[in-house]
Amino acid sequence: MKLFTCLILRPLRRDRARTALTILSVALGVAVVVAIELAGEAATGSFESSITTLVGKVDYEITANGGVNETWMGTLAGLPIDARFSPVIELPVRVSDHSATLFGIDVLSAPSSQTGASPLADIGQLSTAAVLSSEFASRLSLHKGDVFRIQGRTSAGDFKVIAIALRQGTPWIAVDIAAAQRLTGLYGKLDRIEVFLGPQQSAAQAQSLIRRTLPSAWQMETPGARSDENRRMVQAFRWNLRILSYISLLVGAFLIYNTIAVSVVRRRTEIGILRAVGTSSRTVLAMFLAEAAMLGIIGSLAGALLGRLLAAAIIRMISDTVNSLFVTSRPGDIALTPVAIAGAVLVGTAVAVGSALIPAREAARVAPAEAMRREARQQEVRLHATRDLIIAAVLSLVAALLCQLPPWENRPVAGYAAALLGVVAAALLSPFFVSTLIRALRGTVKSLAGAAGLVASRSLIASLARTSIVVTALATAISMMVSVGIMVGSFRQTVEVWLDNQLRADLYIRGQGQPTAGVFPPLAPQVPALLRELPEVRDLDVLHSIVFRYHGQQATLAAASTTVASHEQALRFLDGPAAPILASLKNRDRAVVSEPFANRHHVHTGDVLQLPLGERTIALTVAGIYYDYSSDRGFVIADSSIMLKYVPDLPVTTIAIYLRKGADATSVRRRMEDKLRDFSVLIIPHELLRSQAIEVFDRTFAITWALEAVAILVAMLGAANSLLALVLDRRREIGLVRYLGAHTSQIYRMILTEAALIGLAASVLGLALGLALSLVLVFVINKQSFGWTIQFHPPLGLLGAAIALVWVVTVAAGLYPARYAAKLVPAEAVHEE
Amino acid sequence: MSGTQPAVNVRGVSRVYEGGVAALCDVTLGFPAGRVTALLGRSGCGKTTLLNMCGAMDFPTSGEVEISGQVTSGLDDTRLTNLRRTKIGFVFQFFQLLPALTALENVELPLLLAGVRHSEAIARERLAWVDLAEKASALPWQLSGGQMQRVAIARALAHDPAVLIADEPTGNLDTISGDHVLRLIRRAADESGAAVIIATHSAEAAAIADVRVRMRDGRVESIEP
Repeated sequence: MKLFTCLILRPLRRDRARTALTILSVALGVAVVVAIELAGEAATGSFESSITTLVGKVDYEITANGGVNETWMGTLAGLPIDARFSPVIELPVRVSDHSATLFGIDVLSAPSSQTGASPLADIGQLSTAAVLSSEFASRLSLHKGDVFRIQGRTSAGDFKVIAIALRQGTPWIAVDIAAAQRLTGLYGKLDRIEVFLGPQQSAAQAQSLIRRTLPSAWQMETPGARSDENRRMVQAFRWNLRILSYISLLVGAFLIYNTIAVSVVRRRTEIGILRAVGTSSRTVLAMFLAEAAMLGIIGSLAGALLGRLLAAAIIRMISDTVNSLFVTSRPGDIALTPVAIAGAVLVGTAVAVGSALIPAREAARVAPAEAMRREARQQEVRLHATRDLIIAAVLSLVAALLCQLPPWENRPVAGYAAALLGVVAAALLSPFFVSTLIRALRGTVKSLAGAAGLVASRSLIASLARTSIVVTALATAISMMVSVGIMVGSFRQTVEVWLDNQLRADLYIRGQGQPTAGVFPPLAPQVPALLRELPEVRDLDVLHSIVFRYHGQQATLAAASTTVASHEQALRFLDGPAAPILASLKNRDRAVVSEPFANRHHVHTGDVLQLPLGERTIALTVAGIYYDYSSDRGFVIADSSIMLKYVPDLPVTTIAIYLRKGADATSVRRRMEDKLRDFSVLIIPHELLRSQAIEVFDRTFAITWALEAVAILVAMLGAANSLLALVLDRRREIGLVRYLGAHTSQIYRMILTEAALIGLAASVLGLALGLALSLVLVFVINKQSFGWTIQFHPPLGLLGAAIALVWVVTVAAGLYPARYAAKLVPAEAVHEE
Repeated sequence: MSGTQPAVNVRGVSRVYEGGVAALCDVTLGFPAGRVTALLGRSGCGKTTLLNMCGAMDFPTSGEVEISGQVTSGLDDTRLTNLRRTKIGFVFQFFQLLPALTALENVELPLLLAGVRHSEAIARERLAWVDLAEKASALPWQLSGGQMQRVAIARALAHDPAVLIADEPTGNLDTISGDHVLRLIRRAADESGAAVIIATHSAEAAAIADVRVRMRDGRVESIEP
C-alpha cells in the first residue's frame, strides 16, 4: 500500500490537471452509457395501460386481427370453467383539443371482488358516466360532477365525471362499453376480451379449453406478453443507441491506456530501482493495474451520477421517438438503483483495467539495469509496425467477411463486431500512418512554423506510441461522427426522395390524436363520401388500415385503391415498375408488402402470406415489395376491392386527396374543414406533412448527435491530457529550447503545432475509418436492424465543416498545455535532474 | 575578434534562493572576450548559479550582470530571449541534445529560432568545424558521448555568440573525448573571440583556461591569471 501511495498516488496528486482530465474522460464515457440505459428503460418503462391495475388482475387477454366479434362472449361464458370474461374497447378520442384513450368496459363482467373498491365500479349505473384519470382531469380542470363532451370517431356525446382515478399518469377516460360503441359507431366488435379466473380454477385447464374453443389464429396471452412484445419492438432502436453510447467509453479506454502508458514511461527509473531492490514484477503489474482501477472506480462513480442527470435531460428525446415510431408508452421514473451504480462501476473499472493491461505488463517487464540508465527514460512502449500492419489487414478482411453474415436473433451482431474490428485495425494502423503523414509534412511544417514546426513534428514522431494512441482515440470519435453522419445524411436524403415520391396528393386527412404503432385513429366511414361531394376533388386514395399480428410480430394491414396509387405513382418497387404490379392486385388475392416487412419475415415476391383475420385466414400472394421508410414493422397492402370483401369494417385511417388542376388547396382545405367540422379530423397540406415527417426524422436522430458530441468531447479531453503529458515529459527539452533562444510565443507555436498535427492525423484517419464504418452502418447494421435500403448520400459539406470544427477545437485543446510549457522556468527545467 | 574587453561583467552579485539559501555572495568578476575563464570549486559552491547569471537564465538578488553592454535585470522577456539568441551559447555536462532532432537539426535549431537565413548551410559549416559533417543526419542516440558534446559545441557556436558558457563540458566523457572537446572550446575562444566561461572540476579543463577562478560557499576565493 505504501508503495502504491509513493509510486502511484503521489504522482497522480502532483499532476492534478492530468488526473482530473483522465477521471473526467472516464466519467463522461460511463455517464453516456448510464444515461442511455436509464433513459431508455424509463422511456419504454410502461406499455401497459394503467387502467388494468384498476380493473384488477387480468389473467389472460384474448385478441384477434381485425378485432374480436362480440358474439364470442356468449360462447366463452358457456364454458365449464370458473372464469369471468370482460369485453374491452380501447380507442383514441378527443376532448376539446386534448387526446385521450377511451376505454369501454363492462364492469358487470369483471369480478366484483376486484372492482368493488375501484372508482370504475359505478360506470355501469349511468350510460353517460365517465371516470377520468387524474392526469387528464387536471389537464382539463375537470372535477367530479362536471359534464364534458367526448368526440368519438363517428359521433360525440356528453358525459358526467363520476369519479377521478388517483395517481394515473396517462390521459384516459373509462365509460361503459355500450357508450363507447356509440362513440365509435362500431357495434359488435371488441378490441379484446379480458379473462379473470376464479381462485380455484386451474390456469392450464382454462387456457387449454379457451384455446380449443377460439379460432386458432386468435391470440390468448398474459397481459405482460403485450409489454414484452412492445419491448421487443423497440429493442433494435435501443440496441443501436446502446452501441452508440459505448463509443464514448471506447474513446475513454484509449485514454486510460494512454494515461497508464505515460505513467509507466515516466516512472521507468523508479520501477527499475524498485525491481533492483527486490520488488517482484507481479507487484509492479498490480500497482499499475490498481492505478487504472482507481481512476476507473472514481470516474465510474462520478459517471453514474452524471449519467442520472443526463438521463433526465434525454428521456424526452427517447420517449418522443418511441412514441412516434414504435408504440405509445408513457415515460416511467428514472431509477438509478444500487444495481445500476454497481453495473456502471463494474463496466467503467473493467474498461479501465482492461485498457491498462498492455502498459502495465510493459512496466512489469522493465529490466532494472536498463531502466536506471539515463537514456532509457526516452524509451517508449515498443512498436511492431510490420506485425501490426499484417494484423490490421487480417482484421479488416475478417470484418469484411463478418459483414456478409445474416443477423443473429434479429440483431446485426456480426455488423457490430465488424465495426469494432475496424476500429481495432485502425488503432493498429495508426503508428505507421501517423509517422508516415508527419514525415511527409515535415518540410511544409518547418517552412510554415519554423523551428517550432521542426521540433513539433520531430517530437511527435519520437513519442510515436503515445502520439498514435491519442490520434486513435480522436480518430475513433471522428470516425463515429463521420459514419453516423453519413448514415443519417444518406437516410435523410433517401427519406426525402421517398417522401417526394410518396406524398403526391395535395391534401391529407387523418384522425386527430397520436398514432398507435404507426396507425392513426380511425376516421368516420362517411368522410370519403363527403369529400367526393366537393367539385375540386379529382381523386381520393382512401387507406383503410389496422395493426395486425403476423408470426407474433406487429405490422400494418392496409387496403388502398391501387388504381389511384398506380395513377399517381405513389409507390416505388424493388422489383420494377409500379404500374403492372399494382394493376395485378385488382380483385385478386394479391398484396404488396413493404421492404421492412419482407426483410423481417423473409418474404419474397411470389410467396403466399397466410393472414389470420377475425375468424378466418386469408391467403395473399406477394405481387411486389415496395420501398417504405415510415415503419420498420412493415405494411401489407391489398387492393380495397379484395381486402374490404374480407374485412368490411376495416377502418379508414388516412385519405390522400388529389385536387383538380387549378384548384386552390388553401380554400379547398377551408371548405373541407367546414364540411368535416363534426368529425375529429386533421387536414394537412402536402408541404406540412412532408416537413412534419422530416421533423420526426430529425428528432429521432437528435440523440445520436448528442452522443457523438460527448464522444468528441471525451476525445478532446484526451488530446489536452496527452499534450499535457507530452509537455510534462519534455520539460527538460522545452527548457533547453528556451536556453537556445526560443520566445514564449515560439513555445506556444510548438505545442499548438503538435496539437494541429495530431488533429490533422486524427481527422484523416477518422475520415477513412468513418467512411468504412458508414458502409457497415448503412448496408449491414441498418439493413439488418430495420430492414430498409438506404441510398448512399454522404453529406460532404456538413462532414467537412464538422471535421474542421473538431480540428480547431483540438488545436484549442493544446492551449492549456502550451501555456504550461511557456511558463516553465528554463534553468529549473534543464537542471532539475 | 580577440581582445581583453570583458564581454560579461558581474558586479557585486548576490543570489539568495527562496528559503534563505545564499548561492552567491557579493561576487564581482569580468569575463574578457577571446579568453577562457574556468570556474573551479566543489559542488554547491555557486558555479552553476554564476553560469546561469552569465547566460541570462537567472538574475541576481542584488548587484548586476552586464552582457555585451546590457544589464540583464532590466530586460523584459523578449529582450532577454533576443540576448540569449544572439550573444550566448550553452554547452552542458549531459549534452542536452534534443533526442528527436538529427545532429544537423540540433545545430540548426537556434538559428531557426532566431529566424536566421541560410540556417542549414551555417549549421553544416559548424558541424564540419567540429569534424562531424558526416554525422549530419544521425540522431543523438546514434552518436558517442564525445560526438554528442561536439554537436552541442557546434550548436552553441552556431550563431557566433559573444559568450560561450560550458557547465562541466567534460564531466560525462572519457579522457580522449574530453581532450577533443576542450581543444574545440579553446579554439572557439581563439578563433571566434567569444568569452568562454567553464564551470569544471577537471584539471584538464582548468589547464586550457587563461583565468582560473576558485569559488567557495558562493564567494570568489582566488583568481589566478
